[in-house]
Amino acid sequence: MTPTQLDSKNPGSALAISGLSKVFNVGNPNEVTALSDVHLDVHTGEFISLIGPSGCGKSTLLRVIGDLTAFDSGSVQVAGKSPEEARKERLYGIAFQQAALFDWRTVTRNIELPLELAGWQKSQRQERSAELLDMVQLSDFAHHRPWELSGGMQQRVAIARSLAVDPPLLLMDEPFGALDEMTRERMQNELLKIRMETGKTIVFVTHSIPEAVYLSDRVVVMSPRPGRITAEIEVNLGDRNEMTRESDHFFRCVTSVREALRVHDTSNSTSSSHRGEI
Amino acid sequence: MNTKLGYVWPPILVATIFLGGWQLLVVVQDLKPFLLPAPSLIASEFSSGATLMWGAAYYTATTAFLGLIFGTVLGLITALLAQRFITVDKLAAPLAAGLATVPIIALTPILNNMFNITSRTPRVLVTAIIVLFPIFVNVTRGLIQVNATQLELMRSLNATPRTTLRVLRIPNAIPFFFTGLKIAAPLAVIAALVAEYFGGPQQGLGSRIASAAANTAYGRAWAYVLAAIITGLIFYLAIIALERLVTPRTAQVTTTA
Repeated sequence: MTPTQLDSKNPGSALAISGLSKVFNVGNPNEVTALSDVHLDVHTGEFISLIGPSGCGKSTLLRVIGDLTAFDSGSVQVAGKSPEEARKERLYGIAFQQAALFDWRTVTRNIELPLELAGWQKSQRQERSAELLDMVQLSDFAHHRPWELSGGMQQRVAIARSLAVDPPLLLMDEPFGALDEMTRERMQNELLKIRMETGKTIVFVTHSIPEAVYLSDRVVVMSPRPGRITAEIEVNLGDRNEMTRESDHFFRCVTSVREALRVHDTSNSTSSSHRGEI
Repeated sequence: MNTKLGYVWPPILVATIFLGGWQLLVVVQDLKPFLLPAPSLIASEFSSGATLMWGAAYYTATTAFLGLIFGTVLGLITALLAQRFITVDKLAAPLAAGLATVPIIALTPILNNMFNITSRTPRVLVTAIIVLFPIFVNVTRGLIQVNATQLELMRSLNATPRTTLRVLRIPNAIPFFFTGLKIAAPLAVIAALVAEYFGGPQQGLGSRIASAAANTAYGRAWAYVLAAIITGLIFYLAIIALERLVTPRTAQVTTTA
């Protein structure tokens, strides 16, 4: 399924950000410009990754989109609405690096949490959670407790939970960051499969170059001090299979992302050496 | 089976050596009962006065139980109020330390004057106040020390503070609540017992210990102490049983007091 097909089915802008800035600790000596003049447009059904070194503001950008933190200037529109409206209308689901499951709830009841808060009836909740468990292949673990599951399985539960109310937008903050490499690659394939099945727009934060390239239609490269977008790299891998990670095209994309990251890495080191001279 | 026996034997062995050593010391050194009665004397006083022991323990346990219930309810209410105002755990810790230094048991004579000294009321009140603090401190912590990511998740789900309290904070506080109860339950027995030293009805363990000691019946006094220990232990074990019942995952979760 290509983005254009999704466009024709569900046209429009999933996310429109322009001139976005955010400053932490305004007026303090340790004032940090987390985001500076960020412009980003994501169309419906697109999968984008935000990549960059620590402190480049990629997680902050995700939190602004989700209305988990405020911003200072610029405009952010999630499906044509303000982030606050989008959050209140449950237009996005979110998954974090920590699965953040509730230990006192079974797997099923963790997945049903967003449905409970959205006021779904019990029978509807059960139907939906069974569907989602099937999608993440955890039906056998429906009544287990989160701590009985492996890290990868917990993360699958968290993804199922983020999809619960069927929001058009999925925000993911390094969801596979704490997993081992083998599990991570398997999870990436599962996420792509879920994306194929659901046609969600996905904004994915990562600091892994191969992960960003493998998953995304477009990789958005960010750099720190101040946090800003420095490059956008289109990736057209088409349908992924076991050969994709070994293809020349994959390597070319990885190389161009790496170079985009390095350009600003060197500019950083020169600026810091400048500071050293002063 | 082997491992179960492995848990049972060491304490029995230690207790046997301890009691045997005690008995030996008293016999060999010919210690007088007012100094230290032999375990055999305490045991015979305990069994011969079993009915009295039971009655006294029942009275004191009732005071302790009422105080425990009352104090727990008060502790839970204050904790729920406090979590609305204390948002940082840093504030809870010094508060707990400060409260721990208040000599609540010293309030007993005052409460005896405020309320009817011939009734159980002042004792139940003192017990309740003593119970209130460990419950309050632990539950407040449990309500405040919530995983930051889980809080963000609740915000992303557009949860009101009240919903977050119900769905996240209260379940999060349950292991902390039991930590508090495990401190509070034996404390309730001690408080109910000591409160009897300040006058009032004489049928409880505290009154009996005091009068037995005053009448030079040292073996008997110690037998009442033994009854008090058993009462405290029963309270503690009851809480453990309740915890197992409510949270079957106990083995998996460790909380710090």
